[in-house]
Amino acid sequence: MSSSVPPWRATASAPSSTPVAYQAPATPAYIPVQARRSLTSNQSSSISSAGTTTTHPTTTPAAEPARPRIEFSQAVRNYVQRCFDAKNQIPSVSHAEIQEKLRQVITEAADRNKLHIIDWDRTALPQHMIQNERNRVLANPAVSTWAKASPLTSPVDPNRKRKSTDFGQQQRGDDSPPWKKANNRNRLEDRTTHPSTDKKSRMTLDDSSKSKANLEMRRRRFEGAGVNYGTSGTSSPVDPPIARSTVQDQGPVVGRCQTLEKNYFRLTSAPNPDTVRPLPVLQQTLDLLKKKWKREANYTYICDQFKSLRQDLTVQHIRNEFTVHVYEIHARIALEKGDLGEYNQCQTQLRVLYEQKLGGHPTEFKAYRILYFIYTRNWTAMNDALADVSAEDKKSSAVKHALEVRSTLALGNYHRFFQLYLDTPNMGAYLMDMFVGRERLTALSSMCRAYKPDVKLRFITEELGFESDEQAARFILDHASAEALQEIEGTVRLLTSKAGPLFETAKAEAHRVVDIKGQI
Amino acid sequence: MQLASDFRHAYSIASGPALAAVLTPIATASNPQRLRSFYEFTNAQYLTKDLQSTLFHGKSIRVSKSEQAAWVDIFAAYWEAVGEVLKYEERYPGASAVDIFIAWKKVSNALIKGYAGSNGLKAWTLPCLYTVGKFLRTFAIKADLEVAARGSTEYGFQDDLAVDVEKNANLEEAARIINRMFTLCLSDRAPIEDSRKWGIYETTNLLFKTYFKINSVGLTKNLLRAINAQSHELPSLDAFPKSHIVTFEYYLGVIHFLDEQYSKAEEHLTTAWQMCHRDAHKNRELILTYLIPCHMVTTHTLPSRQLLAPFPRLEQLFRPLSNCIRRGDLVGFDQAMAAGEAEFVKRRIYLPLERGRDIALRNLFRKVFIAGGYEEPKDGQPAIRRTRIPVFEFAAALRIGTHATSRMGVDIDEVECLLANLIYKGLMKGYIARERGMVVLSKNNTAFPGTGV
Repeated sequence: MSSSVPPWRATASAPSSTPVAYQAPATPAYIPVQARRSLTSNQSSSISSAGTTTTHPTTTPAAEPARPRIEFSQAVRNYVQRCFDAKNQIPSVSHAEIQEKLRQVITEAADRNKLHIIDWDRTALPQHMIQNERNRVLANPAVSTWAKASPLTSPVDPNRKRKSTDFGQQQRGDDSPPWKKANNRNRLEDRTTHPSTDKKSRMTLDDSSKSKANLEMRRRRFEGAGVNYGTSGTSSPVDPPIARSTVQDQGPVVGRCQTLEKNYFRLTSAPNPDTVRPLPVLQQTLDLLKKKWKREANYTYICDQFKSLRQDLTVQHIRNEFTVHVYEIHARIALEKGDLGEYNQCQTQLRVLYEQKLGGHPTEFKAYRILYFIYTRNWTAMNDALADVSAEDKKSSAVKHALEVRSTLALGNYHRFFQLYLDTPNMGAYLMDMFVGRERLTALSSMCRAYKPDVKLRFITEELGFESDEQAARFILDHASAEALQEIEGTVRLLTSKAGPLFETAKAEAHRVVDIKGQI
Repeated sequence: MQLASDFRHAYSIASGPALAAVLTPIATASNPQRLRSFYEFTNAQYLTKDLQSTLFHGKSIRVSKSEQAAWVDIFAAYWEAVGEVLKYEERYPGASAVDIFIAWKKVSNALIKGYAGSNGLKAWTLPCLYTVGKFLRTFAIKADLEVAARGSTEYGFQDDLAVDVEKNANLEEAARIINRMFTLCLSDRAPIEDSRKWGIYETTNLLFKTYFKINSVGLTKNLLRAINAQSHELPSLDAFPKSHIVTFEYYLGVIHFLDEQYSKAEEHLTTAWQMCHRDAHKNRELILTYLIPCHMVTTHTLPSRQLLAPFPRLEQLFRPLSNCIRRGDLVGFDQAMAAGEAEFVKRRIYLPLERGRDIALRNLFRKVFIAGGYEEPKDGQPAIRRTRIPVFEFAAALRIGTHATSRMGVDIDEVECLLANLIYKGLMKGYIARERGMVVLSKNNTAFPGTGV
């Protein structure tokens, strides 16, 4: 199916699918729906003409009364057949509702004389439309907060988007972009630009004009995207239902790309096997990436490469020890670089992978999870994390350490906490670094209340895990005033009653809840 | 047909609860054939016609045309759902809980639709909404269990996260439908006498329950925000049925509890506790499960035997901990926490209970203070306790309290840290003079506030 590459294909997917940040891809990774299109059309041309009318006698009448005089094309019939195909059914959407929606869609198309223009193979199924409408209604109260939050989290955002398409199954209605009714229509029209890809184009092949039309179309769509989503930087007007049904229809892709490196692009339709690397190639890729990371430590590059690596694994449904390995390495690198969004992505996946006992280092990552919730102060999630820890897990030093960190903090035992901080296994210290400052302020607040009239700076350095007196002094000066530190009888001391209220304020400031999008 | 006459009776006396009973998808003790006889009274082909004629037959009740149509739709869906329920109960091959849920969703949707428009169902029928919503929730849970029991084969080829997310797929869908019921009540603009606003708390409770079950406690905030935005149009809480409010206050309390806002949680839980019906044993037990840890954190007091006497399960849950706290037995406390951990975590009370260790520690240190005795009396004045206590005395108490061997010892800096914490948290009054290795406690019986010394 991919042997003849239509001219528009080389660039088609990139502008349409990617958010503003990813606008200028050199080589597009994925092309809209190429694979599935040919699959279904093959199928349909051979089997379905008979199938449509005979196996689902109730369905065609539903569509026909709308425009009895119209002779429906094969594409429309295939579409109708697809609607009632058992594997496309959604429990929440009844047969009658599908019929009703289907009638609407087809009538509207007929009214606008678009029956032959619309790419029916790629039109969302009525049940998906219905579901989306419902979800939209349901998700509505949340829409505003969602939109507000997204600009703040723009670095995290691409990941979220990636998740929603890559892991199409996992997508729930609430995640789907809050499109408006108008957008719905937009989408339909958008697709009319693609039809070149459709069967009709094969029937009347006229590549040059098609590609022109395509260009025009793409440009228009891009403008649309800018208007609707550009500012918030959230989703491009892509419809997940299609991606979702695609995966269902098709099963895993088998890649045949032999290039080791590949830039990451968010999938907006079925992946093209030509740009997907099979497992043996991916294994080489990982080795290459590890070397490059050691040598160059270019995080932007590495992160991008890992994301495409993960994507190739996902679309091919590769789920084994290698997958775990990839996610673990990426998680560790992200941790090291403080990229919490990406880290969370990996951590979420790892949790599922570990449940399937595919190897890897589950306790190490369970420990990170606990430390992470300490950082985000998410107590509900912490309780869940505690529930997840088995007696076996508690034997591992990492989990034991993380649990002890948690309980020392809960009880305010800063003495023990900072001992644990200085002795953190694996990469946990990167996580702890994120809340150590906060806990130092808490500890200083207690100390100022309890010790009178002063304490030696040396004591603070030792108790609160500072590397040197200078570092401790700098920290104190950053959060309190210079008067709080004084030299008395040859030693630098912290005047507790002066400093106390200042630390108290700083502490309250530091302890505001951390809210990070995309956390588990 | 019994069901139809029940329906007419409920309608003629405009009794919501009686009407809701008609829509209950279970047989009653007095009429075990209730569902079957209804199911067999007609068939799919004549369903609507038969319903129309039996439900509204005769002149016994006056129902508008649009209401009639709504009820026919609702009972048609109900009839199909009853069919699935019967199939399932009789272990008919191919019967499934998922099918029941799917059929019951149609009942819910038909009912919700029935309220639409100005000619829709009246507000007095709201109990139907509660009943249908309640069963939607239970059927969804059953359906999820069935899907889970069917095994992962079905999801084997799906994407990574499916396993995790699909676990509650049906219940999540139920939540979405119940959310529509919630909106239906909240957004009603009719005058308050005949407003669906009276259903707001009961539908909220149903949603709370569902969100807790699917582990999305965060979503409850959206509901509270929505209610708050409308609060000026809502009657005051005490105008609502107590049963709605008790549950509502309970959940509010638990939501604050999970956010570690214990004083707010205590407020709501106390309201729920006071309003809760004396004989609602299980509810009272649930309230106490959270109220006791709250109380421990906010007022540092422990539950009395008398309070827990009617609740042996709670007695078992909290007694070992309470005893250790009272005695200042840190080792025992840690052991009791470890022993109860699974249960505590499951009930989400582990984190607040853990804070009880501070109280245990306070009690231990208090013993040190009392053991310190009195200062030399001066000039016949009343004896005062010794308030300057060397840190190593507290260290010694800890060493005994934790059964530390001499080799492990107790780190003096750590003892100071623990003292500093108690002082900071207000459990002790005084200060540490580090240079002199002394703790100087407050005089006048305020060294350990609230404990008499």
